[in-house]
Amino acid sequence: MLGKEQMIKVTNFSKQYKGFTAVKNLSFSVEPGQILGLLGPNGAGKTTTLRTLCGIIPPSSGSLLVAGHDVAQAPIEAKKNLGYIPDDPRLFDTMTVWEHLAFTAAAYRLGDFEKDAEALLASFELTHKRDTLVHNLSRGMRQKVAIACAFLHDPKVILFDEPLTGLDPQGIRGIQQAIRDRAQAGAAIIISSHLLSLFENLCTHIMVLNLGECRRFGTMEDLLSEVGHTDSTSALEEVYFSITQASDQTSEGAGV
Amino acid sequence: MDHALSQLLMMRLRGGLRQRFLQLASLRGLLFSLAFGGIIWFLIASNNSSDTSFLGSATLDRQALSAQILTFMPLSMLGLSLLTVLMTTGPTFHFSPNEINFLFTGPFRRRDLILYKFGAYVAGVALTSAFITLIAPPQTGSALSVFIASLLTLVFVQLNSAVIGMSGQALDGSRFARMRWPAIVVLFAIAAATVLYAWVTPDRGIIELLSEFRYSWIGTIILIPYIVFAELFVAPSFSHLAFWVLVAVIINAALLRVVIVLDARTTDRSLIENARLSSRWERIKQGGSFFATQRTEVHSIRRAPILGGLGPIAWRQILNALRNSFKLIIIFAGLAACIAPISSALGAPVTEAHTLMIVYVFIAFILPRNLVCDFRGDLSRMEIYKTLPIAPWRICAGQLVVQVLLAYAIALTIIASALVFEDSVTTQVALVLAAFALPLMLLIYAVENTVHLLFPIKLVAMGRADFEFLGRSIVEFIAKTLFVFAAMAASGAVGLVTFKTMGTTLVLPGLASWLTLTLIGLLTLVALQYAFRRFAVAETID
Repeated sequence: MLGKEQMIKVTNFSKQYKGFTAVKNLSFSVEPGQILGLLGPNGAGKTTTLRTLCGIIPPSSGSLLVAGHDVAQAPIEAKKNLGYIPDDPRLFDTMTVWEHLAFTAAAYRLGDFEKDAEALLASFELTHKRDTLVHNLSRGMRQKVAIACAFLHDPKVILFDEPLTGLDPQGIRGIQQAIRDRAQAGAAIIISSHLLSLFENLCTHIMVLNLGECRRFGTMEDLLSEVGHTDSTSALEEVYFSITQASDQTSEGAGV
Repeated sequence: MDHALSQLLMMRLRGGLRQRFLQLASLRGLLFSLAFGGIIWFLIASNNSSDTSFLGSATLDRQALSAQILTFMPLSMLGLSLLTVLMTTGPTFHFSPNEINFLFTGPFRRRDLILYKFGAYVAGVALTSAFITLIAPPQTGSALSVFIASLLTLVFVQLNSAVIGMSGQALDGSRFARMRWPAIVVLFAIAAATVLYAWVTPDRGIIELLSEFRYSWIGTIILIPYIVFAELFVAPSFSHLAFWVLVAVIINAALLRVVIVLDARTTDRSLIENARLSSRWERIKQGGSFFATQRTEVHSIRRAPILGGLGPIAWRQILNALRNSFKLIIIFAGLAACIAPISSALGAPVTEAHTLMIVYVFIAFILPRNLVCDFRGDLSRMEIYKTLPIAPWRICAGQLVVQVLLAYAIALTIIASALVFEDSVTTQVALVLAAFALPLMLLIYAVENTVHLLFPIKLVAMGRADFEFLGRSIVEFIAKTLFVFAAMAASGAVGLVTFKTMGTTLVLPGLASWLTLTLIGLLTLVALQYAFRRFAVAETID
């Protein structure tokens, strides 16, 4: 039986690329209903972590469990429970919006998907674009299609990589609400982003990565009390800059 | 032309050359460029050898070749012009989005921009002409005459297409434009009647009829501008060449003038077409087709088949084929249907080694390069496939099935056309060929995709002189051919052994041979699955 606290469980995960360590001994877990924000500068290992979790990249070592299934050992079972929204949604440009949903339904073997698909189209204001070939959509619209496809099979784990890129203010509000709704429905969610305000609005937990290592991991409340701020965005900013500046000084010192 | 634009042109040319040299700096780039150079050297050497001409033209002397050029080149150029009228879409001079942002907002006249673009085109054409000069048969004449003739002819083809396209755009909406389709229908009717007449008249083939048309008074009048360019290739002396060069330059200059005049009337349309073409190029870079649907909306198919996970992948490729490559499939099917009658008319039946080699190049090189309904067009979408809860072998099979069946349908068209037009191809032979064509196509595309996933590369060349790309394409083709021939040899060997041990009937050896080829194809599918699993989606370190 899957424990509540183990919807995403990462233990001693490391990833090396040709001698370069992108992620080093990372361990964390996400429970149902929690939203974990991955924060860190470029090259911190955020995207590598997300891509490994959803089976795109094999891990070099460690175990990554999605809904109790090891991504490397039982990838199909793990992926059945997973929805992934990449930062740059690459859709099939000869297919319509609806056909993307139909494709996703067939891939995840959903027998009766039309009602859910219609609801998703309506919630993302895509109903009128149902028969539009996706290459004619704006970037924000394509992002919405990718999110609708990822939500269609009602995944227990959802991974977002820069989910708000290219969205207008209305779209941003809509996606944020959708993320909240999914979390309330029991999904474990990880969001990677550079937008601190997004974490402030959504995340229950924060993990700060730098140079492939976890530098802070805890709840928003922990961070606020640690830094002594009442404003979460300022607290995040302070944590972020203290970590990145400290590592800059370390690397400069090492170079002397 | 404006001084700044001339400078820009020179800098871009220098940048292009620098890029080529940078390619040579890497080991892979150097090797592929050397491979390309080697193939070109082989073509030149075989062309200069009187016995082993790769192009099979060793038997033609200069006089016979000149006669053929004078007869068929104007006809081909007329055909090209008519095709341009038929498919008149796209901008006549394509400006990239960067050029539009930088140059259209700069202090330049439209005339200067057209001249700038024309200059860039001539520079590219000069390179193509140099290549044609290298591989042209020695009977064609001196290198200088071939170069000049090719250069002027290619410039004419571009300007001629531009004028036709711009005229179409300028007349858009007028009563003349409404006559386009009836005129096309009439031309098609004439072509169909000609083919039918040649079909029912045993002693008069298409070639004879075309030749008669070419030398008739009406044919000569229609073909006058095209004849000038044919004369360039067959000029017997320098003075003749100089005369025809002068005429050709005047024609090209006149066409350029017409382009500049027409451009003023078609600027808006030209901008729209530029944007459309740029977005097409972007899609081509992502594995799309130039012929992809331009529609914004289509009727959505409500459900995708599941078929254990294989269904949605194959379904996606079916939609891709229908909306991305449908016109291309029709063109290739048409070409396939023409192979047997044309080769038969030229006295080189498809059963001959030379023709068989051309058919093989068509099936294993030209077709896969252009018709892309598998992994090769989806490299930028591998993320999606990697995150699907579908077993890798099903994804691989789903990706291959549509491409293989399409290629098989085109192969069947060649076989059917050979059955109709070639006496030596009997029904039994056609059936055997049809049976073996399927595993052969599976083998070809499984190898093609495996190589592509193991060593992924862009699908389109970076300009005319991307020697690394060209070299790699040729090396890939040779490697694939060696593998396919080895598989066919193994299949043949198994058939031979079966025949020697089992008896006189050919059914069992044929079956054993077919099963061997199919088995090798399926084993290659296993290799493809390995390549898919191993494929590293853009290793972004973030």
